[in-house]
Amino acid sequence: MSDSNREINQLRDRLLAELGPASEELPGDVSLADAEAKLRDVNELKVRLTGRKSDLSGLKKVIGSIAPEERAAFAQAVQALEKEVNSTLESAESRLTSRVADLRTELERLDVTIPGRRPRTGHLHPITILRQKIEDIFVSMGYAIEDDREIETDYYNFDALNIPENHPARESQDTFYTTEGFALRSQTSTVQIRAMERRGVPIRIIAPGKVFRRDTPDMTHVPMFHQIEGLCVDKGITMAHLKGTVTEWLKRLFGEDTVTRFRPSYFPFTEPSAEFDFSCFKCHGTGKFEGDRCRPCKGSGWIELGGSGMVHPNVLRACGVDPTVYSGFAFGFGLERMTAMMYSIDDIRHMFENDVRFLEQFS
Amino acid sequence: MNISYNWLKDLIDLDLSPDETAAALTRVGLAVEGIHPDKDDFVFDIDLTSNRPDCLSHLGVARELSVSTRGALKVGTPVSESDDPAQTLVSIEDPDLCNRFTARVIRGVTVGPSPQWLVDRLEAVGERSINNVADITNYVMLEFGQPMHAFDLDKLAENRIVVRRARKGETIQTLDEIDRNLEASMLAICDAEKPAAIGGIMGGHDSSITDSTVNVLLEVAYFDRGNIRATSRKLNLTTEASYRFERGVDIENLKRASDRAARLICELAGGEMGEFLDVYPTRALQNTIRSNDIAGAVKRLTGLDVPKKECVRILNAIGIENNEDTFISPTWRHDIAIEEDLVEEVARHAGYENIADELPPAYGAGEYQPTEHHERALRQTLIGMGFDEAISYSFIDTRHDGVFEPVPGVLSDKADDKYVSLCDSVIEGAVRMRPTAIPGLLEAVRLNFNQQRRDLKLFELGKVFASSFGEDDLPNEQEVFALCLTGGEIEQNRSMSVRELGFYDAKGAVEAALEVIGIDNAEFTAADITHLRKGQSASIKVAGTVVGSIGRLSDEISATYKFRQPVFVAELNLQKVLGLIAPPRLYRPLSRYPGITRDVSFVAKRNVTFDAVRSTIAEKKYDLCRAVYFVDVYEGKGLGDDERSITIRLEYRSDERTLVEDEVEAIHKQIVTETASKLGIRMRT
Repeated sequence: MSDSNREINQLRDRLLAELGPASEELPGDVSLADAEAKLRDVNELKVRLTGRKSDLSGLKKVIGSIAPEERAAFAQAVQALEKEVNSTLESAESRLTSRVADLRTELERLDVTIPGRRPRTGHLHPITILRQKIEDIFVSMGYAIEDDREIETDYYNFDALNIPENHPARESQDTFYTTEGFALRSQTSTVQIRAMERRGVPIRIIAPGKVFRRDTPDMTHVPMFHQIEGLCVDKGITMAHLKGTVTEWLKRLFGEDTVTRFRPSYFPFTEPSAEFDFSCFKCHGTGKFEGDRCRPCKGSGWIELGGSGMVHPNVLRACGVDPTVYSGFAFGFGLERMTAMMYSIDDIRHMFENDVRFLEQFS
Repeated sequence: MNISYNWLKDLIDLDLSPDETAAALTRVGLAVEGIHPDKDDFVFDIDLTSNRPDCLSHLGVARELSVSTRGALKVGTPVSESDDPAQTLVSIEDPDLCNRFTARVIRGVTVGPSPQWLVDRLEAVGERSINNVADITNYVMLEFGQPMHAFDLDKLAENRIVVRRARKGETIQTLDEIDRNLEASMLAICDAEKPAAIGGIMGGHDSSITDSTVNVLLEVAYFDRGNIRATSRKLNLTTEASYRFERGVDIENLKRASDRAARLICELAGGEMGEFLDVYPTRALQNTIRSNDIAGAVKRLTGLDVPKKECVRILNAIGIENNEDTFISPTWRHDIAIEEDLVEEVARHAGYENIADELPPAYGAGEYQPTEHHERALRQTLIGMGFDEAISYSFIDTRHDGVFEPVPGVLSDKADDKYVSLCDSVIEGAVRMRPTAIPGLLEAVRLNFNQQRRDLKLFELGKVFASSFGEDDLPNEQEVFALCLTGGEIEQNRSMSVRELGFYDAKGAVEAALEVIGIDNAEFTAADITHLRKGQSASIKVAGTVVGSIGRLSDEISATYKFRQPVFVAELNLQKVLGLIAPPRLYRPLSRYPGITRDVSFVAKRNVTFDAVRSTIAEKKYDLCRAVYFVDVYEGKGLGDDERSITIRLEYRSDERTLVEDEVEAIHKQIVTETASKLGIRMRT
């Protein structure tokens, strides 16, 4: 064996000894820092073993000075060694790079189930939500939205509405009075009068607003609540228009399959009078929901909503409208009761306590 | 009202099952709320409207059914005729309060238990059996709707009845064994000496039927409705009798009811009919209604096609007689007075279910309240900023008087009593119509604190109230917008607050709310406000008008609510604000040349405001200086206790050319120097 070959073999033994640690497998629980250090070690090793100043480079430089008959074999041996070293280094480098990348991925892995970042969203009061929906429906049906005073005279709260002095509804146990003798309006029907005085006829309005009754708060009563009053006066208006209108807006609110039911009743400001019910939005009138007794309609399939009728001629006359020429219908219902039914709210007092846990449930 | 199915069958031929009967009654407006089986009977629980006292009896309910069953009512014809008009048994001194009074004497009765059938009937409809005579009066009332009272004739002084107003100081022990003081406005049924009953309301204990009663005087009368109501209210005493009398009974049915009861007493208690007197000083007026075209009226109001013949048949069946086109309301229907009433009778029996669903012909365009789109935008903006909408009661406690300062435009300086008060309330102490919405919000804060919610943002839109500005006017009502916030800023679905909320969060919310309705020039000026902490409160001005206030709730008020963290509140007179919206501004062309900004920090005494710096610069209208922005304030290390540093950013720009550093440097230096000297402040280096 020539000296040069011996030299190669010696170098090879040395290089392989140095490469030994680079070929080692990393332990399964290696940290990212250790893996990166190892990768750095391999890169340094690469420079040291294969760089311009390395022994391997030195050998390559002497290829030309080798005797011609040995040169080819020498060159081959050097190239083989270089290839072996490079391959070992590259494999180690690629293994480590991929391992480092994996470790980094794990370290930076996001929990995508954590809630997105945004400011807290507030909530409209459920009464506002329902009021706006109903206003939108009626505006689209050609109605004007009206409102007026909450503290009224007896004239607007009672007399003009054909509620005579001795009528039970006028007794002060139902109505709040101020010390000056004004009434807190006990129904939004007062707006019928105010609006007809202001706008004249024909008229189509709905009037949402606060009303007050002297009820001690309990699960089903509150001394202040919201009503929506509807009024349509024109030539040729009949109860058929009342039924059609009430049915139409309830369909728009609860769906095309909603049906209504009108039952004879009594209100001083309408004649004839009717109460109206609609088929339950939850069970669609069957009284059963998912096999159980339906909650909103208490299993009856019907939800009682409000009162209605043809405007009493005395009311029309009080507003300067000739009842032999004009006729009209009016209807009214309570928003709290309706909201309570829609969401199965068991205690109506929640409406005015402003408990955020309550308000947060509506949007 | 409880109505027995079997009892109805005594009064009318009824082929309907109990369920069908209930449906038929509900259909015509006698809402059956429940059907309860009782032995071999069924009892209907009927929810009656206040205009139908005639249906507070089986007779009245049977009459309603007779319209569809087309059968005649099986009630006897009264046969009794009044005895000698010169009688002394009954005298009516106050015929205005007692329109008619009948008295029947029955002698030789044996008071004892009622037969089983009578006990069963009464119990089925929820009445308790007492003795045969009392049960019969009860029974006939439930059957015919006519309350009546049986006296022990021998216990009446001089065995006679005087119907008169009570005298001042008179008392009576009523059947419920309560001593009651009578007033001169009340009608008493007296014997020769003293009241023996409160007319139409309750009998006296001393003259009542007992086991030893032998001779009975049966009173069947008609009393003035209004007087019965008034007396019942004054005595706080409502009975089955008063309930019917005040709503109105059938004055022409007295003899029939008296006959029916007297015969039953003779039959079941073994008495003998004695004298009968009918004193009828005040005849009832029946309403006469002219309807030239009843079928046309029905069509006009309901859209129903009911032939005239059928209209008349229905009306006759419920007792409305007619002579051609003149209809006479029956004495048991006090609610029928005009043609529309006739229309309702026809329509409910023809069936509301037969009225078509029609929409009225198209008419005009719909319209919202003029302020609605602004209010919706305002609400939506606050929702977006994390506020929840509150609605509080309009009545609050009087202890808030003077503690809170209502927004401008609410309180009148002229009125002696600035506030609107209720005569009484159903919530303890809450007799004040709120002049401010803030106490309501604070109540909500307290409630939520109690539920361990400390990070809160709430707002409310609603009316506040105060005495009128003019004399005799209705009280002043103003729409306000109020908000309140406390605790930390929170993110959706994340529980940890990101920072503590403060004055500037409240101000930001007010600015955002105003901006969305078109007001971007609100001015906030430091001001002392009663309910706000000094030095952390401001008045809010729009277009030169003060419209509200904002600030941190005062320590005194916080202490009364036991708040342990700062609470910030603002309130604006929304009605005023909505009237101050300026027309939208015109577009300003964009400069084609880049701008240059320079920051500068001034060290100033604390009382020198950012606005003072800003307006000092703005007023000079420096050429090229386009805007003054707020950057930051700093106080603390390196500055005196009474000092702080304000950093502002100045923007320079020309519409004609690109500015060069040197010219900006020159003008910037000039602005800084002049501003510092004008305000007595120095540039921070």
